[in-house]
Amino acid sequence: MTTLNGGMDDEDKWLAEGIAGLQHNAHYMHRALDSNNLRDALKYSAQMLSELRTSKLSPHKYYELYMRAFDELRKMEMFFMEETRRGSCSVIDLYELVQHAGNILPRLYLLCTVGSVYIKSKEAPAKDVLKDLVEMCRAIQNPVRGLFLRSYLSQVSRDKLPDIGSEYEGDSGGLVDAIEFVLQNFTEMNKLWVRMQYQGSVREKEKREKERNELRDLVGKNLHVLSQIEGVDLDTYKGTVLPRILEQVVNCKDDLAQYYLLDCIIQVFPDEYHLQTLETLLGACPQLQPTVDLKTVLSQLMDRLSNYAASSSEVLPEFLQVEAFAKLSSSIGKVIEAQVDMPIVGAITLYVSLLTFTLRVHPDRLDYVDQVLGACVKKLSGKAKLEDSKATKQIIALLSAPLEKYNDIITALKLTNYPRIMDHLDSGTNKVMAVLIIQSVLKNNTFISTADKVEALFELIKGLIKDMDVTSADDIDEEDFKEEQNSVACLIHKLHSDDPEEMLKIICTVRKHILLGGPTRFPSTVPSLVFSALKLVRRLQSQDGDESGEEVPAIREIFMILHQTIETLSFISPELALRLYLQCAEASNDCDLEDVAYESFTQAFILYEEEVSDSRAQITAIHLIIGTLQRMSVFGVENRDTLTHKATGYSAKLLKKPDQCRAVFACAHLFWIDDREGLMDGERVLLCLKRAVRIANAAQQMANVSSRGGSGSGTLFIEILNKYLYFFEKGNPQITASMIQDLVELIKTEMHSDNPTDASADAYFASTLRYIQFQKQKGGALGEKYELIKV
Amino acid sequence: MAPRRRMLLKVIILGDSGVGKTSLMNQYVNRKFSNQYKATIGADFLTKEVQFDDRLFTLQIWDTAGQERFQSLGVAFYRGADCCILVYDVNVQKSFDNLNHWREEFLIQASPSDPENFPFIVLGNKVDIDGGNSRVVSEKKAKAWCASKGNIPYFETSAKEGFNVEAAFERIARDALKNEPEEEDIYFPDTIDVTGGQQGRSSGCEC
Repeated sequence: MTTLNGGMDDEDKWLAEGIAGLQHNAHYMHRALDSNNLRDALKYSAQMLSELRTSKLSPHKYYELYMRAFDELRKMEMFFMEETRRGSCSVIDLYELVQHAGNILPRLYLLCTVGSVYIKSKEAPAKDVLKDLVEMCRAIQNPVRGLFLRSYLSQVSRDKLPDIGSEYEGDSGGLVDAIEFVLQNFTEMNKLWVRMQYQGSVREKEKREKERNELRDLVGKNLHVLSQIEGVDLDTYKGTVLPRILEQVVNCKDDLAQYYLLDCIIQVFPDEYHLQTLETLLGACPQLQPTVDLKTVLSQLMDRLSNYAASSSEVLPEFLQVEAFAKLSSSIGKVIEAQVDMPIVGAITLYVSLLTFTLRVHPDRLDYVDQVLGACVKKLSGKAKLEDSKATKQIIALLSAPLEKYNDIITALKLTNYPRIMDHLDSGTNKVMAVLIIQSVLKNNTFISTADKVEALFELIKGLIKDMDVTSADDIDEEDFKEEQNSVACLIHKLHSDDPEEMLKIICTVRKHILLGGPTRFPSTVPSLVFSALKLVRRLQSQDGDESGEEVPAIREIFMILHQTIETLSFISPELALRLYLQCAEASNDCDLEDVAYESFTQAFILYEEEVSDSRAQITAIHLIIGTLQRMSVFGVENRDTLTHKATGYSAKLLKKPDQCRAVFACAHLFWIDDREGLMDGERVLLCLKRAVRIANAAQQMANVSSRGGSGSGTLFIEILNKYLYFFEKGNPQITASMIQDLVELIKTEMHSDNPTDASADAYFASTLRYIQFQKQKGGALGEKYELIKV
Repeated sequence: MAPRRRMLLKVIILGDSGVGKTSLMNQYVNRKFSNQYKATIGADFLTKEVQFDDRLFTLQIWDTAGQERFQSLGVAFYRGADCCILVYDVNVQKSFDNLNHWREEFLIQASPSDPENFPFIVLGNKVDIDGGNSRVVSEKKAKAWCASKGNIPYFETSAKEGFNVEAAFERIARDALKNEPEEEDIYFPDTIDVTGGQQGRSSGCEC
């Protein structure tokens, strides 16, 4: 025995020898052809063809040799044609003459070649010549040689079949004979091909299977020839061609042949034929060997039919007429049931194909879609969650198909089996699918408008809403998690009903679900819910705008829900909670609900006191509080006083002097709101500003002591000056021109003594002075006021 | 006399599955067209007699399987081709993108002696579909590609309507004719064979 590698080298050598021998004889054959020497031409061509008698070559190499012989035979064919045309030898004589070749294989190749000329000459009916040839070829029973010889016969007769409309069709032979010829050749070839596996030793089984696989197209090509025969119309196909092919396929009891030939049938014959013969084709499936990969075959069939359905709406009635769905569905069920060893991915792949088919052909039949999903659930139930990555990929394809088709989650929500399949996914896949569902909602701008649908939707995406299994919490990628939660947050804004009552139900449903999410999810989901609820509040409030003064009970209820919801954030993200409380305060202000607004502020202050500890966060928070409070109009004197008092108090207690100073002069605005009777308390404005000056002074001294220079405190006085000017313009009687003059002088002195000059402070001051000059020059009432300031 | 083999011109049609290779061949040879998609298995040829400059030639047109799984025996039939037709569907971008793959595959497998000047021709088929509204590959783009590969002639065709098919094949035949015969076909025997055969080497059965 040679080694595998040595074997390959040997094979190349044998091929080279075969080619050399072939070329050698071809050379003499050419010479004989050039001198019109028929006898020598036959002799050398037969010797040339003897090279094809080898048993040493693999099908691939044999094919190379065969192709060379094939090309040479075309020259013989032309020669034969010329001979008969010249009349030097009749085609009947030639047909006899070539049979003198010593070896049978060369003899038959030559016979087929002359046979082709014979048919062309029309001196005998094509049917008779073909019948003779296909019978004669039986003499070769070696599979490889026999298959190639018959493939030669098939090729040279290809354009000489007595097909309908062909020039070879006649009274003595026609379509039936053409089909019979191809079918017979096909049957014989398939037998040779199948038999091949039983030849040789058991050890070489693998090699043989490989060789058989290489040879398969020689057999399959007959089906291609059949499909190209003009006369094979639907009736002929249904009545003769398909049953005859299937008979051969079923009876050969060979899984390789059965799988391949079914694939060929599906690919070479047109879609409408398949549709009209579904029962026959599918009926053959259970009769095949149990090892045949039927899922791939059926998937291919359904893919083809799906594409056909998608190609034109005109063909859809055909599908209905033959009840394609019912047939495919039942056939798939049988296959899955019968092939117990089929891996789960195989079954799911089949369902994906069936679903694709259903969505294309019966987009209006949701019950069909649900039926397919239901069948899949049945297959999955009782099994562990899917972990095979190929299977999960198929599941995602299965679940995505309805989303892509309908572009509308609401339709998918009607599929009762949809969530049941989701339940069989592992948490990772479940999340991927949930994100896909949300993306579909966002992409299609779908609004989900009833609480029931919201409930169903959240059931589907629960993988994102709460922790499904505690164990895997560690290996969650933080960025993925954030992205997922972001998509949930976006989704909440798509849950909308124009009916306020329904909207309230939706909000309660959402709240119920997101509260299950735990502290890591709240910061993403709660704000969305809060703003969604506030939107509803404003809608209700504007609706009842006419009957002002009357309170809408629902609004109060919503605020209660809101407060309870925001509370969940108190410890996780107090700053966020504080902002949300302030949002509530503003909304309740607009609804004229003083107690709710007061409560909101109280909560905000509690958070400020107890939870906001970072000094930067405190600055931001206090300014937010001041700003919101300034805009509030709902409060009575008492409540307002309490809150402003607190705000100014906290302002003065900030960590750094400059921050205190700025917060305190911001508080001045709390006491002076334009055109609001009782809220224009000039005295308290002045108190705030004076206090700000004192703090600025202290800050200045501290800065000087620490000798670190200005550290920004230099601009504080200028900022305060600007506040003075603001209230001066607003007509606050407490703010006088001389106060401003004094402040200007103070700043000038400070700037002179301040050695390291602060360019930005200089510029700020200069432009403030320029503003004063500008107001003076502008004249008018304001100008006159400004004239009092001497600078 | 003219070498006999030059009377036969071998042409190979390549391209993705479903671009219309079989239909182009059938339209040219039989003037027939069917809208039905039927896959081709292996390789299959039809012949057509053509006349140029008072000489008669036989065009041997090889139609091939676009689906790889129906090409199980390899592509030994590429050998000796005089011209290669690359077909794509103007409505399918991928089929255009794959032209390069088909061209290179052909050059590797057929290994013509002068690959730089081997005659190719590109056909953009199915221009009839939807009145041209569904096309995704513009004529300009196709021509640019052809120019970049050594000025491959380009034709837009419709096998369905027979548009430009005849013209394209005429160009194919002329280009094939210009292609020099492959060197390896010329065989010089170095010894005179007197045994009249090499039966001794054959290991096949006596059939």
